[in-house]
Amino acid sequence: MIDVLIALFPCIVCATVFYGYHVLINLVTCLIFCCGTELLYGVIIGKTRTKESLKQSSVFDLSFAVTAVILTLNLPAVMPVNNWGMNVYSSAGTIVFGFDTVVLCALGSIFAIALVKMLFGGIGRNFANPACTGRIFLFIAFGGAGAFNLTSSLFGNGMAATGATWLGTKQIVTGSMLLDMFLGNTATAAVGETCVIAVLIGYVYLSIRRVIDARVPLITIGAFALFIFLFDIAPSGADGEQMFMSLAAHVMSGGLLFGSVFMATDYATSPNTFTGNVVFAVGIGLLTALIRAFGSFPEGFSFALLIMNLAVPLLDKYITPKPFGYIKPPKRDKDKTSATTGKAVGNE
Amino acid sequence: MESKTFKKGIEVPHNKQTKDNVLCDCPTPATVYIPLSQHIGKSAVPTVAVGDSVKIGTLVGKGDGLVSANIFSSVSGVVKSVECRKTPVGASCTHIVIENDGKHEETLLPPIKDFSPQSLLERMKDAGLVGMGGAGFPSHVKYAPKSKVDTFIINAAECEPYITCDHRLLLEKTESVLKGAEYLMMTLGLNKISFGVEDNKLDAIERLGKISSEMGVNAEIIVLKSKYPQGAEKQLIYAVTGRKVPRGKLPADIGVVVGNVHTAFAMYAAAELNKLLYRRAVTVCGDGITKTANLWVDIGTRYSDCVEYCGGVKADCVKIISGGPMMGFALDGLDYSVTKTTGSILALGSKSANIAKPQPCINCAKCAHACPMNLMPMYIDAYTQRGDYSAAKRYGALDCIECGCCAYTCPAKRPIVQSVRLCKAKLREVKQ
Repeated sequence: MIDVLIALFPCIVCATVFYGYHVLINLVTCLIFCCGTELLYGVIIGKTRTKESLKQSSVFDLSFAVTAVILTLNLPAVMPVNNWGMNVYSSAGTIVFGFDTVVLCALGSIFAIALVKMLFGGIGRNFANPACTGRIFLFIAFGGAGAFNLTSSLFGNGMAATGATWLGTKQIVTGSMLLDMFLGNTATAAVGETCVIAVLIGYVYLSIRRVIDARVPLITIGAFALFIFLFDIAPSGADGEQMFMSLAAHVMSGGLLFGSVFMATDYATSPNTFTGNVVFAVGIGLLTALIRAFGSFPEGFSFALLIMNLAVPLLDKYITPKPFGYIKPPKRDKDKTSATTGKAVGNE
Repeated sequence: MESKTFKKGIEVPHNKQTKDNVLCDCPTPATVYIPLSQHIGKSAVPTVAVGDSVKIGTLVGKGDGLVSANIFSSVSGVVKSVECRKTPVGASCTHIVIENDGKHEETLLPPIKDFSPQSLLERMKDAGLVGMGGAGFPSHVKYAPKSKVDTFIINAAECEPYITCDHRLLLEKTESVLKGAEYLMMTLGLNKISFGVEDNKLDAIERLGKISSEMGVNAEIIVLKSKYPQGAEKQLIYAVTGRKVPRGKLPADIGVVVGNVHTAFAMYAAAELNKLLYRRAVTVCGDGITKTANLWVDIGTRYSDCVEYCGGVKADCVKIISGGPMMGFALDGLDYSVTKTTGSILALGSKSANIAKPQPCINCAKCAHACPMNLMPMYIDAYTQRGDYSAAKRYGALDCIECGCCAYTCPAKRPIVQSVRLCKAKLREVKQ
């Protein structure tokens, strides 16, 4: 867990630098509520309510911190909700302290930890990535009320409806735009996705520390690139250099890079075999490309990840390595079923 | 030379601190407690009663049926009692308790008739030879396979950390081991022995090569990468020959027989010196013991006697294991006997012993990546915990060789091997 937190650190730093101190307010809120929810879940749902049972809580493995950080990085810096009117504005009209945002962060944390993780059995048993699902919950529940309309300002700490993300506008990509995206000098819907360099640093760190399989994010991104080329770039009639530019812009936009490195590689919600992981990664790439090209959302990674997370138990059931010395069962005619697994695919 | 190996498995620290400890005699204790079950198969039937006088080599337990082995006294003296006592694995069996009279009178077998396969097999049976690598399979059954065998491998891998008794035998008793291996080879009707040795024993490799050519023994020394569990039978066969033992089958079914170094030595002692099997080399090791050693120990000696001879355990010793750290049994005390299959007594201090509390499984799949049998240990464990043993079987519970790679790599320190053992026992119950 500590390794993952260290790998996320560059992203937190970049997010704070680009979007201001409100990111840290969100982070602290998420941490407090994730920790609290996990601690209190056992007390509220469980039968024993003693100090001893608190001490044995699963909070101490720090997985809640990873969820909190990833949730923060998946949200915008401020999420003002129409008609709530709880924000503190400065004289220039920018948000100084968004109470709305804090409430939403808290709700998202509680949803992520209690409903996605603890309800299903705690660490290792969650059916989907808690942070990602928490973000989806907030997006669906509060998106209509204007919370996600802002793409956050740059180099500031307030609210200024600067241009939508590149995915929202699909402008013609130029070289300088690509450089901006790489360095983080661009607007995104979530604070953690901005700086590509930070994500890359995290990726390299996790790969070196052998926390993640370095191949899986590459396969996700590769599959996505292939499919988005087929669905979006080729039909749009771009040619030559513009094709490559559009492709690069697609890859560097949205939650793809961040999600591939930190969320698609999460242990509990990804398959346990390499072959299974390949299918998982290709599936995410395909679904993200589909949603971005044909769906009504500009950004598709979170939904794609959620859908593939749901498919993981199926992948694990049918994609198992052949035991050493596996004998292929002889072909039976009718009713005798083989004692071994169905579609046993190769091992790594 | 390039080292051969098998797929997956794990790298463990070798901890072969005792590899230079020359074998020395552990003094025969005043009383020996000889268990009648030191092998796979039925327990031996006691052939002595309280008050009987015995010599070293007197038959105290006769093999019961085909898959069983004879047991002999390791001291001369008087039988004090025939009683049921506990064994390190948590079971219990009849023990013959003999009081040592200190006279060391020995009885030997008659000289062997000839060196035909039948006589050699008979000699194995008479001498009570079993697989001394730890399994204890009766040798006279193993070396009379029903299928045709074309390869004989001596398992000199000794992949478990800490244990060095086989290594010392290879260095100190090279001629005897080679001669014994030759007899085993002759029993199978073959003319070549393959020695599979890990590359952390370069001195043994060199010595084997030199002595075997001097003696004219047709031995091929195959260097293996030091990876755990290289000494596991199926992995050893795969590394040496490239053949895979099919699920549920024996090595003999693909034409291979694997023997242990110590068994080869015991074969030499039985065939040429006419000695019965009552003594073996044991490594006393670990950072929890005052003085590590490689000892010649009489079977029936208590672990406490061996440990006392080595200066006793240190103050911060938290775990004592019979066998190696990967596949051995943690003990609740030292009043157990050294048997034909005891390879080592490992005393671990608080820094080396794993006393962590198991955490929930996070599905990281490190166990699946390590498993040399290509199983999915996390699912076997999960289903066993839920009582769904047939689902656990689907993920390979019955193919597990219980090597411990999964439990070693598990970041949550889950006792996966114990889960698998439980599952196997439950599945066996259902079958009956």
